[in-house]
Amino acid sequence: MDRRHFLASLGAAAVASQVPLKAAEAPAAGRITLLHTNDTHSRIEPFGPGNGAISGKGGMARRATLVKQLRSQLGPVLLLDAGDTFQGTPYFNRYKGRLDYQLMRMIGYDATTLGNHDFDNGVEMLVEAMASMEKLQHRNPPFAFLNCNFDCKGAPELARRIRPYMVREFPGVKVGITGVGVAFAGLVAPKNHEGIIWKDPFESLKPVVKRLREVEKVDLVVVLSHLGYDVKDAAYDDLRMPGRVAGIDAIIGGHSHTFLDAPVKVKQAQGETLVFQVGFGGVNLGRMDFTLARGEVRAASGAAMPVVG
Amino acid sequence: MKPSPASALVALLLAAPLAAQSPDAKAEVIPVTEAIPDDPEIQKVIAPLAEEIRASFGQPLVQAPQGVFRGRRGEENLLGYWVSDVMRQAAQPLVGAPVRFAITNGGGLRANLRPGQLKVGDIFELMPFENELVVIELTGAEVIQVVKEGLLRRGGEPCSGVKVKVEGTPQQATLIVTWEDGTPIDPTAVVKVATTDYLYGGGDSIPTLKKGRKPFTTGVTLRQMLLDQCAALGKAGKDLLPPAPGRYIVPVPILEAIRDKTFKL
Repeated sequence: MDRRHFLASLGAAAVASQVPLKAAEAPAAGRITLLHTNDTHSRIEPFGPGNGAISGKGGMARRATLVKQLRSQLGPVLLLDAGDTFQGTPYFNRYKGRLDYQLMRMIGYDATTLGNHDFDNGVEMLVEAMASMEKLQHRNPPFAFLNCNFDCKGAPELARRIRPYMVREFPGVKVGITGVGVAFAGLVAPKNHEGIIWKDPFESLKPVVKRLREVEKVDLVVVLSHLGYDVKDAAYDDLRMPGRVAGIDAIIGGHSHTFLDAPVKVKQAQGETLVFQVGFGGVNLGRMDFTLARGEVRAASGAAMPVVG
Repeated sequence: MKPSPASALVALLLAAPLAAQSPDAKAEVIPVTEAIPDDPEIQKVIAPLAEEIRASFGQPLVQAPQGVFRGRRGEENLLGYWVSDVMRQAAQPLVGAPVRFAITNGGGLRANLRPGQLKVGDIFELMPFENELVVIELTGAEVIQVVKEGLLRRGGEPCSGVKVKVEGTPQQATLIVTWEDGTPIDPTAVVKVATTDYLYGGGDSIPTLKKGRKPFTTGVTLRQMLLDQCAALGKAGKDLLPPAPGRYIVPVPILEAIRDKTFKL
């Protein structure tokens, strides 16, 4: 018997005495699974031989199968990515990222963020790849590009394709998702990020997380981060984020290509944050499961799943 | 319905214990023995494109009997030396003047050239970026400073035209930079320098490159330049061989101190 049925089986008066009634009564309990990748770097096909431990692993067609199976069995699932989709194989040089984004839509991604390498061919080519994904005829809707620390006023075509956050509602769980990107200095040539100003990611996150919590009333806050997991000498990385920005439940990381077997729990002012990252190249698919009751996270766990053929 | 291998896999994954770990804990490895089949809809899109890629990238260029390698920790980056040699050589006819020095960033060379027949795809893997060859003017003193910045940051960025020697200990070291024939560098002389738009734009933190004057943007990508060089060698029936080592002579304790960020010059 699940928790909802258990509660329903109690006398209505008994429940009412413990639970303040809301105007629109949402289911009291819910769960959500976050599936995620990062730094896929145009690895459309599995890694070939000669790549050590990751030889033969990955591949977007296999990832699609795994995601489809998990979606059909788990129900409430979000498929997310932490950026650096571009650059790394001849597929990128030939198809300029259009193929990566189109396949991501076909696999059913809900959102991604932008990494430094997504600017490798400049803003115009990035926008072109995004537009080709939007125009694709496919039953899956286009996925979202989330970032809250790039000021894109000088690049209007990009600006209208990037949202600071999005909200998705599932039975018993309302999820808010945002994204942050790494500083351009030393990583992206100035001409390739023309019109975009990088801002402090932690300061940019604070008002967004606050809005998600207080205005959008989400139960779970997820950050897609292309800052890196544990970056020596850096002011901003994923392990530092929970202590600097309160109220984040999950950080889906990228940039440092860190292979973690399971999410790491980091203490923060409002409990714990799960910080996770699954290497690069689509070798693994990350999975984080959250169980919620009355808007509170009751259980959180996760693991990296190898994408093997 | 007969369960597919993938659903068996998923059942296995669902049954496996999932746990979050503390930062230093070792997680349990989930045993996955079943293969995940390709999704037919996605595979249908990929297959013809893979065919196209393989056709164009399979074109043979040149023989590299020994291969050309970036080198492991503490070894010299001969692949980087080759790339910077080609940069210098390709830049000269474009600016119509001698180019004394070339520098690129080792981090931008993404794959080794393995021994055997090199194909177009190998050069794409080595140089996936669209970086462009740029020629600037620097003084001799600035060339030495550029070498020093690359040395302090990454233990020496691949370059062409100079010889670099560090002597002494991590606590007390001397840097000696000469032209490749051993002649001293006149700090006031103005010379042409080949680099990339990425480094000239301030990438990889060699700030002195940004001071370059009279920039000439060649419009030639580094990749195209390398493809042309390989094709020319192949056409002439020559092999691609790695350049000789000996451009950077740095004692191991100093290399280690550079990696630990405790070294100062």
